[in-house]
Amino acid sequence: MDGVSAAADVRSDVPPVLVEDVTVRFGAITALSQVSFTVEPGTIHAIIGPNGAGKSTMFNVLSGVYKAAEGQVRFGEHRLDRMRPYQIAGIGVARSFQNIALSPAQSVAENLMLGRHHLTRAGFVAAGLRLPRATREGRVHGGRVAEIAEFLDLGDKLHTPVGVLSYGDQKRVEVARALCTEPRLLLLDEPVAGMNAEETDRMAEAVLEIRSALGISVILVEHDMGMVMSLADRVTVLDFGRRIADGTPAEVQSDPEVIRAYLGSGDEIDPSEAAEAAAAAHPSETPGTTS
Amino acid sequence: MSESTATATATRGATRRAGRTAPAPRRSYLRPLLLAVALLVLLALPLYVEEFWLRTGFAVAGAIVGAIGLNLLVGTTGQLSLAHAFFLAVGAVTYTFVAGESGGIGLADLRGLGWPPLVGMVAGVLLAGLAGLLFSPIAARLRGIYLGVASLALVFIGQHVLNSWTQVTGGFNGRSTPEFSLFGFTFGNTDPDLFVLEVPFREAERLWYLGLALALAAYVFARNLLRSRPGRALETLRDSEVAASVMGVNVQRYKGRVFLVSSMYAGLSGVMYALSIGSIAPESFGLELSVLYLAMIVLGGLGSVGGAALGALFVSALPLVFQRYADALPLVGGAGEGGLAPGEAARYLFGLAIILVVLFQPTGLAGLAARFRRRGRDPGGGPADRSASATSDSTTSVPSDPPAQGSTS
Ligand SMILES: Nc1ncnc2c1ncn2[C@@H]1O[C@H](COP(=O)(O)OP(=O)(O)OP(=O)(O)O)[C@@H](O)[C@H]1O
Ligand SMILES: [Mg+2]
Repeated sequence: MDGVSAAADVRSDVPPVLVEDVTVRFGAITALSQVSFTVEPGTIHAIIGPNGAGKSTMFNVLSGVYKAAEGQVRFGEHRLDRMRPYQIAGIGVARSFQNIALSPAQSVAENLMLGRHHLTRAGFVAAGLRLPRATREGRVHGGRVAEIAEFLDLGDKLHTPVGVLSYGDQKRVEVARALCTEPRLLLLDEPVAGMNAEETDRMAEAVLEIRSALGISVILVEHDMGMVMSLADRVTVLDFGRRIADGTPAEVQSDPEVIRAYLGSGDEIDPSEAAEAAAAAHPSETPGTTS
Repeated sequence: MSESTATATATRGATRRAGRTAPAPRRSYLRPLLLAVALLVLLALPLYVEEFWLRTGFAVAGAIVGAIGLNLLVGTTGQLSLAHAFFLAVGAVTYTFVAGESGGIGLADLRGLGWPPLVGMVAGVLLAGLAGLLFSPIAARLRGIYLGVASLALVFIGQHVLNSWTQVTGGFNGRSTPEFSLFGFTFGNTDPDLFVLEVPFREAERLWYLGLALALAAYVFARNLLRSRPGRALETLRDSEVAASVMGVNVQRYKGRVFLVSSMYAGLSGVMYALSIGSIAPESFGLELSVLYLAMIVLGGLGSVGGAALGALFVSALPLVFQRYADALPLVGGAGEGGLAPGEAARYLFGLAIILVVLFQPTGLAGLAARFRRRGRDPGGGPADRSASATSDSTTSVPSDPPAQGSTS
């Protein structure tokens, strides 16, 4: 696929992400409390932490699904904390879901085409009447979708309904759908949870290639420590909604508070074990696939 | 339990497909051929079939248009509406008022614009759309069952207006519908007298073709819609509003739009309903009609355009057929006789059919048809075929949308 394999440095239109003192509350629970960090353009920034630390909540704030009670999120001149999710998608922020949120009855191609939504125009009338511009638009964007599917090893499954795919394949469709929006900032929520070692390696390669070839920023939430430490340029560690560390992978790994958070969380002594536990729990939470 | 089944099917699907090269959707020549034959048969039918069946056919066509419209809203988007009868009424009344003449019938002093019926039909569609547009801010903010309850109010408002706005609606007695005409060609018994192969083409024959054309147009439009950008957005927002919005879909706007489109379908269906019965009366547009439309799409298959058409055929034709063959059917009696009234018998049958569908065939008649197609082509039930079967199997289309389900853990 041309777009991805063509070498490029950091894209000039990728601004930094500035998260400043973000607090999110659900009733009595404070899911995030005064969290700040910065994602430099063109970097892979990991957010890690034990279960329930608030990682997905942070993604929900970044993508406009939850409103922060306090604090702000800047992406260039945009204030993400004040925008609706579809507007955030419109400025090039894409996200994959931890618990797969695909349409199981639709084919892979159709799910990916949804990623092209904000790049296309066809409305009800043009689509219903099959006006030439609507069909042309569909064809052009269908071509790009096929490229992206190919890039994530989904080329031979384009016409398969997502609901019958393996869990790992569905995870890849999630990532592919986010890529299909041609993002400037890509948010990946546990992209390799539930994948086997080989699939995990391929996904890690893909993430590196996305960053290097497209020059975009990637924020990665992941329990797989091996993947985090080898991919990330910078790591933010959350625990019980608080930021307990922020730095390079090496710095974070030796941070006493981080070690305590992972050891202190009781049964999850080994972070990679936690990842497996999380993975095992996933299929049941997958919306729609259990129909 | 359900999770292990899901995983099992998922893995099976994956291993079956492993190593397979892109199974592009297969284009067979059989399908277009069958469609062409079916269309020819439908076109030739008035030459062979008696008036009763043609009239039933027109009623069915009207129901098909309405059911497709409701299915876009309920089946595809997961929004429940009980207001469908209201929008049918808007279409029917608008047509009758715009195309009808002023004048008194009995005590009632009726008003009408006397404009060409085609204008009346277009006005009926547009006004139903306008009514939908006015309601769509509410429709856009409510989800699923809540919208269903809110939309109930429209049915009662509609009933009140139909009963009390006598000059336009004819009040509780109703008023008769002006016959349709197209650029001077009337869809009545004469004017001009018309014979095709020595068969007289009177009102029933002419309306048959009108119904066929409108139902076909409604079908094709909806199919196109579902297969392109807006359709994908609607289906995704049914499956997860959060996912749809994060992928760039303006969820509120799309909910409003689909409500608008659905009410325009209902408007056209209302015009056809009025033409088919020949009159409008308040009791024709009660809550029961909304429920019948819901029955059509549940029986036919939520989210499937073809299913909506099948369901409409079943639900709207059955009472008429029962009525006609009341003598021959056990248990069913004619008017004033013992036994069940035909309409009542049909309702019992719908009830039973819905229970059966919900229990055994959640994808409705459309899913059943797909299952037979699959069996015919591939006795092993193998995976060679793409979506047609798999899609309808997994399209349980239950309007489910746990908020932020996909985003929290
Ligand atoms: N919509 C919500 N309503 C109420 N509480 C919520 C909601 N979303 C998240 N929470 C709570 O906020 C906290 C953080 O949850 P979050 O999903 O962000 O954790 P996480 O770090 O992504 O964990 P995991 O590793 O398990 O995915 C949890 O205590 C969770 O119960
Ligand atoms: Mg999470």
